[in-house]
Amino acid sequence: MSKLGQVVESVEKYNRFVLDQVKRARTDQKFGRDLLGRWNDIKAKIPTMRAPTGLPLPRLALPEIDEPGEIARFLFGEGLPGEFPFLNGAYREMYLEPVREVESFEENGETKKRKTDKKIPQAEEPTRLFSGLMLAEDTNERFHYLTRHQRTHRLSTAFDGPTLYGIDSDADGVFGKIGEGGVAIDTVEDMVRLYDGFDLGSANFSASMTISGPAPIIMAMYIAAAKRRFGPAVVPKLRGTIQADIFKEVQAQNETIFPIEPSLRFLTDMVEFTTREMPRWYPISISGYHIGEAGSTPVQQAAYTLSNGFAYAEMFAVRGIPVDQFGPRLSFFLDCGLDVEYIALARVSRRIWAIGMREVFGAGPKAQLYKLHTQTSGRSLIAAEFKNNLTRTAAELMLAYMNATNSCHSNSADEPFTTPSEEWIRLAAHGQAILLEESGIFKHTMNMLSGSPGMKAVERAIEAAILDEFREIERLGGVLAAVEDRYQRSQIQNASHRYEQQINEGVRPIIGLNRYRNGSDDIPEVKLARTPRKKQQLQIDRLVKFKKKNADKSKRALDKLAGVVESGQNCFPELLEAVEICSLGQITGRLQEVVGRFRPMV
Amino acid sequence: MASPIRILTAVPICDGHDSAINTINLEFIRHGIEVVYLGYHRSVGDIVRAAIQEDVRAIGISSYNGGHIEFFAEVVALLRKKGAADIKVFGGGGGTITHEDAAVMRRKGVDEIFFAGTSLEEMVKFVHQRYGKPRGKRGCAKTSDIELAHKLTEIEDGFSKSKRRSPKLETAILKSVTRVIGFTGPGGAGKTTLIDELVLRFLNKDRPTSDKATAGRQSRIAILSHDPSVIGEGALLGDRATMINSQNDRVYMRSMATRGQPGGLSPATHDCLALLARSGFDYVIIETVGTGQEAMPFQKNGIVDQTVLVMNPDYGSRLQLQKIVMLDLANIVVVNKSDLQRARTAHTEIEQRLEQNRRAQRLVDTVAKRHRDPGVDKLFGLISTSDKSKRGKERKKL
Repeated sequence: MSKLGQVVESVEKYNRFVLDQVKRARTDQKFGRDLLGRWNDIKAKIPTMRAPTGLPLPRLALPEIDEPGEIARFLFGEGLPGEFPFLNGAYREMYLEPVREVESFEENGETKKRKTDKKIPQAEEPTRLFSGLMLAEDTNERFHYLTRHQRTHRLSTAFDGPTLYGIDSDADGVFGKIGEGGVAIDTVEDMVRLYDGFDLGSANFSASMTISGPAPIIMAMYIAAAKRRFGPAVVPKLRGTIQADIFKEVQAQNETIFPIEPSLRFLTDMVEFTTREMPRWYPISISGYHIGEAGSTPVQQAAYTLSNGFAYAEMFAVRGIPVDQFGPRLSFFLDCGLDVEYIALARVSRRIWAIGMREVFGAGPKAQLYKLHTQTSGRSLIAAEFKNNLTRTAAELMLAYMNATNSCHSNSADEPFTTPSEEWIRLAAHGQAILLEESGIFKHTMNMLSGSPGMKAVERAIEAAILDEFREIERLGGVLAAVEDRYQRSQIQNASHRYEQQINEGVRPIIGLNRYRNGSDDIPEVKLARTPRKKQQLQIDRLVKFKKKNADKSKRALDKLAGVVESGQNCFPELLEAVEICSLGQITGRLQEVVGRFRPMV
Repeated sequence: MASPIRILTAVPICDGHDSAINTINLEFIRHGIEVVYLGYHRSVGDIVRAAIQEDVRAIGISSYNGGHIEFFAEVVALLRKKGAADIKVFGGGGGTITHEDAAVMRRKGVDEIFFAGTSLEEMVKFVHQRYGKPRGKRGCAKTSDIELAHKLTEIEDGFSKSKRRSPKLETAILKSVTRVIGFTGPGGAGKTTLIDELVLRFLNKDRPTSDKATAGRQSRIAILSHDPSVIGEGALLGDRATMINSQNDRVYMRSMATRGQPGGLSPATHDCLALLARSGFDYVIIETVGTGQEAMPFQKNGIVDQTVLVMNPDYGSRLQLQKIVMLDLANIVVVNKSDLQRARTAHTEIEQRLEQNRRAQRLVDTVAKRHRDPGVDKLFGLISTSDKSKRGKERKKL
């Protein structure tokens, strides 16, 4: 049985364990009394807050139960926020407003006020600033503009098509794509320009890079660029995330450049290096977002993302990386749309992950956490009467926060017909601030909206469906075999087709499209900032110069790299050398000669 | 009955957004259009070469990653340069292509750009109206590849009108020095991947040289591939989408729908194959649709030099092997996916089955998906080094 099969068993076993505890609490009097005692202790320790209106509220809301069996069901089955199995949240307080003034009601009814000496810390800005345009210096300028009023610099980088496919800007037929949809990166020199002026070793800085196919090469360039600017001592201080999710590329997004197995091997080489040398780096973001956007059902999204995660964990463990070393460096990325499953999709995912990691991989508490970034659904947004998209995104944000996501990105309403513009980006970001800061829904009380009968019903249904998907994948021989069999791909494509059909037939109402359509689309005429030809040519000229300058040395470096790849050793240290004198395309090309090219799946 | 409209669809280089094109392809097929799907991340050169070889009426491009003005314009320009301006270009890119962009693209020769919100019906209607009229008389072809493409279309269209073979093609095969290799086997056995890996080895065998004198004498390969379709309906001709090595000027590929004929081949296959076999290629590879147990229909008439049966290790029980006629007829039997658990059993059982035949049949294990697979190297050796003196002699007159 593969690890995924064991995960299924461990979740089933855990659910039986919970039922046993419920039964025991009801039959074993001492156990029941202890539980009740513990429950009362927990409740007694919950501080009370006052809403701005003066209404007192507990900082953590718990179900109103006093029967030992039900207490056991809650504590073992769901867990307090920040406690195994983490159904209610990976951390204790999530979005709660920092404690300013705690009012505790003493037994004699007297109210004592305790002022905390902490200043109101302005929480870290929730917005992740996704950017990437034209050349490295243009994106750099944009990064500086976006962060000009911020104390923390969390930069999220989008790359252009040629970079995502590991192709150099001077390759045939990609001229028009240079700097489009993201930044063009060919060499370590571009990488130096990209983050120029930012203190890469600072705790207030982190870089996120949305790239998977050539991720190890780009990662090596980032490290090399940091070393050029700050010396080798900066390496252990680097913070950030690189997407590097090969499975979802093959299942949904199609940005894969090497065959699956060598792709996974290069990934593992990188993870082995970063988890050892860069303990603050997230070397993979296990992403369901693109699976969801490609049209999967919510259950498919959650099931494939989780099973991909377990497959990576298995790979890293087989390589010999300790689970408590790589486990805390894994993070997840989910889509949030409007289907009912999204009420609890991430909650259930968090629980399954924690159980699987603890029971099957022997992970400690930090390696059990399903750390989640959520993005609202781009697919749910439409061009017709596009201002409705504000409402769609707001509803999705609400769902995302009800799932206690660790961070979130909200889409711009104008996304279906253009690259998001300043005005709509701002509205999208403010949507988050309105929900978290202005409204009282999430800032006073943890568990404000969790645990309703409906939510529980959805949770049970989702968990059963996810485990069914796991069983099917296990039956096909595990994640890798199922991927090669195009299983997930076909399932996603079928679901996507069904979704479109439902819209066409009107059984899936889309307001303004197949229901309440007024016929006059109010799409504003947009003008897009395109990369000027002069800039595209500049990128090519710089690349050609770089190649010429290093012409003598690069061939030797590539041969050496190829040799290490052939030998089966970890090639990441060699990549670090190669990126100093070779371009992205040169490295990709040489690696493809050794391991082959990815054969597209349709 | 008029021939179905043939179009080619693709997603540009550095772009993996295939969700829209997949949906559109299915809609086209449902409405009687034959779609040669080239897949995503395809260069201008790959698209134009495929469109010319397939002799499609139009190319539909779905672009979501920017650079569309240049990309579409380059496709139109290259078609003109190659003498294939009769192949038209249309496409879309949801919200990424603005009305202003579309105006520029139309000026550069693109027929139509569909915007976000266009219904599938509108696109289907457009293709039928714009590209559905029969072609007029075609002028002199600029290159031999175009001429060949036109002739193949004539043959295929001829069969749509009447079931009889055009008489002039029934001769002239004997003179050929082309080696014709047939690939058959059940669906999912990996025929297309295997062929594409063999192509890589053909191409590497005599790599292009910078010397212009010898450059013209490099070997060329033709591939005739088949996908199933019902009379009067569309088809998805998708083999090209998963091929990486066959996107090359030295490879001439044509995809055909079976148009209702059972047996894994099209009514026009015989004549098209005969034409390819005397068109100066060094090798012609023919791939049937994933067939079951019957024989390869064209084997009896001697047009094929060698037949390869590609098996999947998961064929079921040993009894199934007795029913597979091709196991008696194939020159080479390949057990692909030999990394699967069942492969060893499959090898043993097939080996025993072949021994009953007491012919010099060869059995090869391959893992076609693996780069530089030694099994594929061995198969390549068997195919490429077969006795050349026998070429043509074995072929009977048709």
